[in-house]
Amino acid sequence: MEKPQERPETQQSSPQMAAPDGGWGWVVVGSLFVTSALVFGLIRSLGVFFVEFVQYFDESAQAVSWITSIGLAMQQLMSPIAAAACNVYGARPVVMMGGFLSGLGFILASQAKSLLHLYMTMGFTSGLGWALVFTPTVASVMQYFTMRRSLAMGLGFTGVGLASFAFSPLFQYLVEVYAWRGALLLLGGLSFNMIACGALIRPLGNPKVVEKTENSTNLNRCSFLRSRIYECFELSLLSHRGFLTYAVAITFFNAGYFIPYVHLVAHSRNIDFTEYQAAFVISVTGVADIVGRVASGWASDLGKMRMPHMLVVWTGLLGLFLMLIPAAASYPGLLVVSLAYGFCAGAMTPLAFAVVPEIVGIERVLGALGLVQLIESVGGLLGAPLSGWLKDYTGTYTASFITAGSFIVLGMLVTMTLPYFWSCTAPLPPSPSNRKSQDCSIEDGLLKATSPDSVCETVPRGGYTA
Amino acid sequence: MPHTQQSSREGALFSMANVMLLIVLLLYCDGMNTETTSSPESDPVITTKKAVSKGQSQVIIEELTILTPQNIELLCNLTDLPNNPLYITGYWTKDGQEIQNSEETVNRNNEQYILKRTFRIETRDLGNYSCVFRENEAQVTFVLDVPVMKDKRDKPVVSYIGDSVVLECKLKHTPNTWNWYKANNTEKVFINVTANPLNYKILNNGTKTKLTVLNLTEEDSGKYICSAEFDIKPSVSYVQLKVMSYTEPLKPFIAIVVEVVVLVTLILLWEKCNKPQQNNSSESDVYSEQTRKLTHDESNGSENNTARQRKVER
Repeated sequence: MEKPQERPETQQSSPQMAAPDGGWGWVVVGSLFVTSALVFGLIRSLGVFFVEFVQYFDESAQAVSWITSIGLAMQQLMSPIAAAACNVYGARPVVMMGGFLSGLGFILASQAKSLLHLYMTMGFTSGLGWALVFTPTVASVMQYFTMRRSLAMGLGFTGVGLASFAFSPLFQYLVEVYAWRGALLLLGGLSFNMIACGALIRPLGNPKVVEKTENSTNLNRCSFLRSRIYECFELSLLSHRGFLTYAVAITFFNAGYFIPYVHLVAHSRNIDFTEYQAAFVISVTGVADIVGRVASGWASDLGKMRMPHMLVVWTGLLGLFLMLIPAAASYPGLLVVSLAYGFCAGAMTPLAFAVVPEIVGIERVLGALGLVQLIESVGGLLGAPLSGWLKDYTGTYTASFITAGSFIVLGMLVTMTLPYFWSCTAPLPPSPSNRKSQDCSIEDGLLKATSPDSVCETVPRGGYTA
Repeated sequence: MPHTQQSSREGALFSMANVMLLIVLLLYCDGMNTETTSSPESDPVITTKKAVSKGQSQVIIEELTILTPQNIELLCNLTDLPNNPLYITGYWTKDGQEIQNSEETVNRNNEQYILKRTFRIETRDLGNYSCVFRENEAQVTFVLDVPVMKDKRDKPVVSYIGDSVVLECKLKHTPNTWNWYKANNTEKVFINVTANPLNYKILNNGTKTKLTVLNLTEEDSGKYICSAEFDIKPSVSYVQLKVMSYTEPLKPFIAIVVEVVVLVTLILLWEKCNKPQQNNSSESDVYSEQTRKLTHDESNGSENNTARQRKVER
């Protein structure tokens, strides 16, 4: 007799195929909006707290800036784990857990007695929470959309810009009224809203890995565990040339991308602008960032130009403007360059994510996002301390801005070596003609069962059959 | 010969008296000299500060920072006067009041009129010095004062009971020393770190000073005054401190947590309410799947009829 559990498997042959491209998808975009606001918008506005920490703990600015570095690094390093958990349990519980952890980190931070406590709470705990929230939400949006993916991503990411615009004065106000301890407590509560965002992500189908449990009973534990890890973490991507090229490019982008957000305020103060003038520069950059995201998402969906090409255009301009920032000596000049920089930085972001399914295919997008963030964390860990060291060594921020710009340009050059970059039409994602047989692995054997456009016709090695 | 002896003795006495008188006179004059130069340094040092006013009715304000008692020569230079008179009269005022006997006639010198005066500045002499001309509305004011601490926080510094807080003051010039006071109604109470090491810590670093107040209680709230001591006069600024209990931020925090719980419950409930329809449809699919498989597997079984019947019933 047939077992009831097998029914769902045969019924929903490909969970990711049902891409509504609208409807509940827009609610998930809203969830991405709030999530990116509460993760990256929050991180960007933490500068207010750093001034307080430097004074309270009597530590150097560099020691305090490690808090953000650790948080960002955790968000990226733990992404594959988030992706794996998502593959097993589905996006919803993972995001809800992540929201809880991020809030918990800030609540514990409000009781900190030393800088180390802040590293552990705001850095590690909240960073882990952010990882569990961000990657699954982005992947869910990608699953819900195909035709309007870039626009959905662009709209979702506007949360970052709007939040950094609104959060800076809000956090300043909170610190003035409640001191940094009370303000951190309230931020923890604010971060709890991500639990509600997670609740909004209705699963489109069963998680990828659950379906395969039936087939594994025949094999021994060791290879079972190995293959489970392999498929959860999507490790087949590590032998995919397009993915690796993209990961290296993103690493370079990451090295240069965050530097201005860390140093722009300090740079403005350094050249003797007032506090409010400096804050205004950041606000202007933020607004331009928001506009850039939506504009780029909408323009990319029009299909006039291939996504990797658009990415190269935006990142080239971004690198150029970054290098021009130190050259702007007057206040209007700095405003204009920052505006241009903000627009290009915003324009680049949705494309950097939306191009992933084009490179690796939608089935592997979750694992790809996880792995790419792990790899790009190297860039992030290098970028900010390097620019801080350059500032201490040379006395001004000129060298660090130029370094950031050159990282971006380097990433742009690497992007140009993507497979199929120089062709005018986009290839079919996992393209049949170029895949060598070594790409065919256990992973593809599994893919064969789930998606009709899986490519490898050779007999899958390993024991898995659909 | 006694006449000459007497006259020579008288002459010697006279010359001795003259010499003594000379010596006394010299000493007196010496004393007078030190009095008139009246400068602490060995050479009389006079700092000259100038301001140029062009035409009529131009108001210029110059801020001068004074750290120690000193002599200052203030100079007002007037140019581009209409009618170019041969001479004009000008006088000095301090804080709006005319200084006695300060009126002078200034002759024209290459299209310029220069009025200058040397002032001795001690503690009570700090203020606004202006040169005023009777024929002209132009006014040049020199503001003589100790360094003023700008960028004061208008908002109070906030902290919690049991926590510690750092209050800071900074200046552009290094004072001789920094002192901190706590304002108690109308009087100042000096903060003595050695008498109270558990509650206060002071760190002075040239142009900056930091007062750390530990083990805060509600009574520690209030106005703290930092005083930069200079030779001539101290420069003061104040910082307001507010100490509150942890229940203050706890109230909005609990409100936010309640809001999140309500939202999550609503979202999950709403989805559950929409779910039974989906469950019904999936169950019917399962059921038809089951019947289809049964008919396929037991095509020549005896239950064929029942299956067909079951199918017909649906």
